[in-house]
Amino acid sequence: MTHASPDDFILHGPAATAFTSQRLGKLTPVFVPEGEPAPFTRLDTFDQTLRRSGRLLLDLGTALDLIRPDSSAMTQATHGRTKFVPDIAEGPVKQALSDLSPLRSLLPCGTGKLSRAGLAFEDDDHKVHCRAALQILTGAEGQTVILVMLHPLRGYARAQADLRHALATNGMAFDMDALHGLLFPASPAPAPKPKLALTADQTAHDAATAIIALQIPVARLSEPGIVADHDTEFLHDYRVALRRIRSVLSLFRGVYPPDQTATLKARFSALMAQTGMLRDLDVHLLEKPSYYDLLPEIQHPGLDTMFALRAADRAKALARLSRHLRSKAHGQEMTELARLFATPQALPPGPKADTPAYPYACALIWKRYRKIRQIAANLGPATPDTDVHTLRIHCKKLRYLMEFFAGLFPPASVKSLLKPLKALQDHLGLVNDLSVQQVSLQSFLQGSGAWPDSTKLQVAQTVGALTTVLHQRKLDERRKTMDALSGFISPETQKTFREVFHPSKPGPPRKPNP
Amino acid sequence: MKIIASYANKGGVGKTAAAVNLSYALAAAGERVLLCDLDPQGAASFYFRIKPSKKLTEASFFQDVEKFTQSIKASDYDNLDILPANMTFRDFDVFLAQMKQPKSRLKQALKAVAGDFDAIILDCPPNISTLSENIFKAADAVLVPIIPTTLSQRTFQQLVDFFAENDLPARKLHGFFSMVQSTKSLHDETMAVMRGTYPKTLLTAKIPFATDVERMGIHRAPVLVSAPHSAAGKAYQALSEELTLRLDPTRHGEGPS
Repeated sequence: MTHASPDDFILHGPAATAFTSQRLGKLTPVFVPEGEPAPFTRLDTFDQTLRRSGRLLLDLGTALDLIRPDSSAMTQATHGRTKFVPDIAEGPVKQALSDLSPLRSLLPCGTGKLSRAGLAFEDDDHKVHCRAALQILTGAEGQTVILVMLHPLRGYARAQADLRHALATNGMAFDMDALHGLLFPASPAPAPKPKLALTADQTAHDAATAIIALQIPVARLSEPGIVADHDTEFLHDYRVALRRIRSVLSLFRGVYPPDQTATLKARFSALMAQTGMLRDLDVHLLEKPSYYDLLPEIQHPGLDTMFALRAADRAKALARLSRHLRSKAHGQEMTELARLFATPQALPPGPKADTPAYPYACALIWKRYRKIRQIAANLGPATPDTDVHTLRIHCKKLRYLMEFFAGLFPPASVKSLLKPLKALQDHLGLVNDLSVQQVSLQSFLQGSGAWPDSTKLQVAQTVGALTTVLHQRKLDERRKTMDALSGFISPETQKTFREVFHPSKPGPPRKPNP
Repeated sequence: MKIIASYANKGGVGKTAAAVNLSYALAAAGERVLLCDLDPQGAASFYFRIKPSKKLTEASFFQDVEKFTQSIKASDYDNLDILPANMTFRDFDVFLAQMKQPKSRLKQALKAVAGDFDAIILDCPPNISTLSENIFKAADAVLVPIIPTTLSQRTFQQLVDFFAENDLPARKLHGFFSMVQSTKSLHDETMAVMRGTYPKTLLTAKIPFATDVERMGIHRAPVLVSAPHSAAGKAYQALSEELTLRLDPTRHGEGPS
């Protein structure tokens, strides 16, 4: 993280307002307000990405102000409420937010007022010896915090040093965490992201339970955001958490008794099943801009009609899922599942429950990699999409396994193997998306019975044109997938996989990261 | 980096007012400017409310780079720094006489801060001396205020002659009429004659005789700050723009910022 300049300070409490009228030795303060205080709303993502990275984003209605970890500030004119980074006009603030997910909404996380002022200290000839720029922030409960940025003036080092000393005595060096705490006391600092700390001698049963226990709260925390429909990432995160849980249940065979595993699988599948329709529609609607790019303008009215119908479908699907998530039965089910995985002893052991985590992980990962190599050996341009889909699923399982057990293996090796795997998955994901989109479009068309004839014709023409383009793109992506795949099953990658996950003499595993 | 000297071998002709307003205008246009007050009376420093330098005494101006740079003070305006004068500056000629290469010492001293500034403006004492020769050598342009009277005409000719006798390039000289009173026919006549005599040397811009200039001592600020829309304010702005264009013709077409 970038450190703040030693010339930047925070004043707060009674000292803040008093400071602007205090003499500095023989120098007299001159306080010059710049404009009226403007109300602001602090914006951040659900997981507080901005706060975690030491940034403070303020929506002033007509402008967005960003204060960075080094206390430097930037501003950009805006129009209306800012919800997603891509919606912001090109400018310095948008540029400085480019690391944020374009799909994550910026949520209101606090309010207050902001004003600016200049503070100078003059001698008896009214000559300025030192000056500072002030940003005066007032929180919702009336607490005032002043950010002071000294502007060095050549030849006046002594006055500068005196001012620096006075600021350090009356306030504190700039610190974004402190600023957040003072200004938004009701908004606690984000808790560090929970990390899985597996040990080599931990049992497979305890490892599986720990992984699942970590995912249930992730799913639970996403639920209010799904219901509020802040953005599509809440549902995505919810589904990823459930998918990880289901992967553990299906991949960690024998850690729980078979009937217990089957019951748990069914319960988590039932949770997942509620979400499929909304997620499909989200994916489809997220593709909206690219569809307009893919088709000539003459087809755009057809796209307008199609997306209007899909948006209506999505509203219904969201209402249905929201009802489910808010239901008492769902709340009880999630509470029970969380309680079940909170203590490993609560779950009966299966036949492989006591296997130590390290050999267990090695066997699972090596087996999955060999499976991928087998499928890859028979893959060619003529291979049906279903086989490519199978490969995608195996890759996904391998990725989960490697991530679950990452702490048991040398980080550099795991990282070097995850990189080509992620690249391959990106291509496989795109092939799958392009296939799913074609199928989805066709099924959408089949449901056109209630539409007027003019709508049917218009949408059918648009879907036809889109399907052709998507098919061509899918063929291109299949070619790229084959290239990525050849890298992943190359002798060099295979050698590393063998060294890490299938050593001839399994040595003592390295200790996991603290 | 360019060095512009505001110089006249005659006192009270508006030399310091020109240096102060030119410095401000260039700084306001975005250039990093150092106004070097070489006049021991320190009028330029006074206009910017800066007290005389205590450190930079006697020969240290030419010999002690650290003291020289440490004596520079920020003005109250962006991009504009001042090197304030003190009374020991009146003995510059004595110190220079004791040094090797006495005529290029000023240029060497200014080199130390050349990287910090786009323009250095020298407000010079009114005489022809070893310091003046240093100034003529160091400066890229010598800006000469001329009150349009017979006596000033004669003084300006003396300066032109001095340049010729000492192999100094005449193109460095840029005269302009100062304290012009349009009600006086003598001023009009003198200006007409001089424009005929020095068609390339004289700038078009002319500074009127105005109370706004005199009141700089009360406001302790450039006319361009206290009365930017006055006749004198506009005239100083025009003078700055014309000189800038003369020194860098590639900037033609750039409007004032």
